[in-house]
Amino acid sequence: MSKAAFPVNDLVRRRLQTSLTVVTLTLSVASTLFLLLFSRRIGLGITSAGNALTYGLSAVFSQFLLFIGVLIFAVGAVITSFIVFLIMKQRTRDFGLIKAAGCPNGLVFGYFMTELLTVTFLGCVSGVALGFAADFAATSMFQFQAYQATPDLWLAPLVFAAFFVLALIFGTKPMLDAAKVSPIKALSPVQYFGLTTGNKLKPLSRAGLTLKIASRSLFRRQSASVRIVILLSTVFVLLTVSISGGVIANNTSRSWVENAIGSNVVAIAHESMGVQYTQLLAKFSGATENGDFNYLNAELAVPDILLDELEAIQGIETVDARLILKAHIREVSNFTIDPETLATLPVGGSREGDSLIVGVDPQKVTATWSIKGRFLNAEETGEAVIGDSISQTMFSPDPQAGIHFSDPLSQGIRLQNGSFSIVGVCIDPINNGKVAYVSIEKLQNLTGISNANIVLVKLDPAADRSALLAQIKNEVNGVNSAFSVFELEEVLQENLDFLGSVWLTVMFLPLFTLMSAALCLIGYTMLAVEEQRQEFAVLRAMGAKPKTVVTILAVQGLIVLFSSVAVGISLGVIITLMILMPQPLVTSFIIIEIAGWLLAALVGMFLMSLWPAVRFAKKPILKILS
Amino acid sequence: MPLKTSDLVVATDSLNKAYQLGDVEVEVLKGITFKVARGEFVAICGPSGSGKTTLLNIISGIDRTTSGKIIVLGEDLTVQDENFLADFRCNHVGFVFQSYNLVSTLTVAENVAFPMEWSRKPEEEVETRVAELLETVGLQHRANHFPAQLSGGEQQRVAFARALANDPELILADEPTGNLDTKNGQKITQMLRTLKANGKTVIVATHDPELMQLADRTVCLEDGRIASLNE
Ligand SMILES: Nc1ncnc2c1ncn2[C@@H]1O[C@H](COP(=O)(O)OP(=O)(O)O)[C@@H](O)[C@H]1O
Ligand SMILES: [Mg+2]
Repeated sequence: MSKAAFPVNDLVRRRLQTSLTVVTLTLSVASTLFLLLFSRRIGLGITSAGNALTYGLSAVFSQFLLFIGVLIFAVGAVITSFIVFLIMKQRTRDFGLIKAAGCPNGLVFGYFMTELLTVTFLGCVSGVALGFAADFAATSMFQFQAYQATPDLWLAPLVFAAFFVLALIFGTKPMLDAAKVSPIKALSPVQYFGLTTGNKLKPLSRAGLTLKIASRSLFRRQSASVRIVILLSTVFVLLTVSISGGVIANNTSRSWVENAIGSNVVAIAHESMGVQYTQLLAKFSGATENGDFNYLNAELAVPDILLDELEAIQGIETVDARLILKAHIREVSNFTIDPETLATLPVGGSREGDSLIVGVDPQKVTATWSIKGRFLNAEETGEAVIGDSISQTMFSPDPQAGIHFSDPLSQGIRLQNGSFSIVGVCIDPINNGKVAYVSIEKLQNLTGISNANIVLVKLDPAADRSALLAQIKNEVNGVNSAFSVFELEEVLQENLDFLGSVWLTVMFLPLFTLMSAALCLIGYTMLAVEEQRQEFAVLRAMGAKPKTVVTILAVQGLIVLFSSVAVGISLGVIITLMILMPQPLVTSFIIIEIAGWLLAALVGMFLMSLWPAVRFAKKPILKILS
Repeated sequence: MPLKTSDLVVATDSLNKAYQLGDVEVEVLKGITFKVARGEFVAICGPSGSGKTTLLNIISGIDRTTSGKIIVLGEDLTVQDENFLADFRCNHVGFVFQSYNLVSTLTVAENVAFPMEWSRKPEEEVETRVAELLETVGLQHRANHFPAQLSGGEQQRVAFARALANDPELILADEPTGNLDTKNGQKITQMLRTLKANGKTVIVATHDPELMQLADRTVCLEDGRIASLNE
């Protein structure tokens, strides 16, 4: 037997354990790499490139991805250490046997080190490959064409190296321990449990017997049991945070978008303006609008008579006439007094940028935004509400530009000759949140345009929608045939679908982790089967049914799972509450949804862990004993 | 569940057992035909590797035949499924392994009790029976110890108590004194003598001359065949 042939043959002979280890390693490496690649694309990518979503939403994503990223890395580390610990722990006996047969220590160590290196290398290489594949699949499968770019290749060696080193460290530890064990000890199955308390004879009921065997075996495998509980707890923290946080954040961000666009709202405008407006809304999900569009073209002006006629139609709740244009705006700074030194400190600077400006009549808006601060006041025409992306790019501290303090709510914007004080920051998908709402009256004064260029109409949800739409179209046609009615439901749906697919992809990550954790649990059950095989064979020989053996192993699995769930979910809930965004949307349905997902994960893991137990229980007794 | 009454406890007819080792088929038992009547004490002797353990395993329902007939306590074991065999072993056969085979995670008392718990005996009955059995084997003071804390002889006595727990009609013992010193061996021989006196059917695989003396009859195996039948 040549030096290299032994470890390789050994790995092939233990095909199941080897592939389990490689697959688990693959999954944890892949999920970590995928997360990093994907979050750079979506979360961080969006923030810097700003070509989709709005700043507020991508901040929510980034925060989540960052947090899940940290957790996934932790889980990956724990899983990796566990799985190499497991495979090496199972070899302790073989180690002793080979030593007993007279093989020198160094050589035995060499054999197992070669095995460890082979397994780790295979796992890490296929993990990196799978990570890139998952990233590619996720990007091309959903509506992320907007984010297609070459992946950050430098992440691959980073993740590879981190996990490789981790696996080596944790895999070498049990091997060193095993090397110290004398051959006699490695060969003897003798275990002490101490004495049970009391001298009274107290044989147990049948259920008690199962529980006793299960719990004492867990105790005997202490080091592995503690490790699997730590591993599964971390996994359940991750699951709770990502599932509950994810579901809540998804619902909340959907409702933000839904409210900003408004439901049951149609737009009426000149054909070209309507198309432009729809594209501005859909920019959120990756569309591009016409950059040279002339918003001030006289053709676009909405005739006053049309507004009057719309007001008169029964079944229309609100007529929201808007003047929309693109303009260059400038930051207006402010001062504050430092309470300690009484020195005057500047707040903000004089940054500039392009923004969509929307003039509205504050009393007649069809939307309800998620706002920090408040919306425009009808009496005060010098106010503005800005979108979250403007707030981020023009009103956040920028030490490099010498701006140490900045707070949009105490500053203002300048637009041509007019200045507005900012009273609110809203989340609005239009133009990716690069928007400012001002009074239409003041905007008309500033631009000299006396008409609106688009009208948003909110329909009474109780009214007969198609009849009402037909009536509106008729009126519009009668006034100016170049004008049309645009239904916004489709754009809204597109945006919501986009949000949904982003979250779905984020949910991929815990799924990956869940799968590797389930594999670890299978590995743990296999260790249990391995260590208790003699015991089970005796039980079977003395009249236990295969079912009894499965029950004992299932009870062990349940004890491990439930202690992990208790720790993991409570920690997860605390963390979720801590990092949750302001104004979360939590209904009882959402709570049921979250509980359902977690329960499904639990049941799925439990069933998977039973697989080796059932497979084992079916074996003939003498096969087990031999 | 009393099995069919008959004067024959074990009856085999041209029983064969072969193991598949890779491409090679190893015949371990070759055409074994023998009968054991109710209340008989039979010793099975033969050199190591002659198939004694294999034969006991098949009689107890732990192992299955390759071909041939085996009827134990009126049941044709070749046609029964795993669950039936489990109940059969639990309630009607007491088996003492050569290597004791106690459950390491259970105490002495629990080791004796578990076959009774599987046969759904009421709790009080289990308690009194365990106490009684441990007294018979002289280990009542060790009830709450774990097997690893006992000597080989003590473990073997616990294994005996366990085999007798459900008061089985048939007791099988595989070289019960093989690993023990003379003193411990004599204790085991004494126990088997009591069983014989109580009219139990006992089949013992053994080389021990004292045990063979005790037997009504000795069956010698050689290379998987019955070489001779004495007395
Ligand atoms: N599981 C098995 N697979 C292959 N051969 C076996 C197996 N069990 C026993 N044997 C072989 O069957 C023969 C008889 O074994 P056994 O019944 O244990 O003999 P004894 O108890 O008389 O020493 C031996 O040659 C042994 O090697
Ligand atoms: Mg034998």
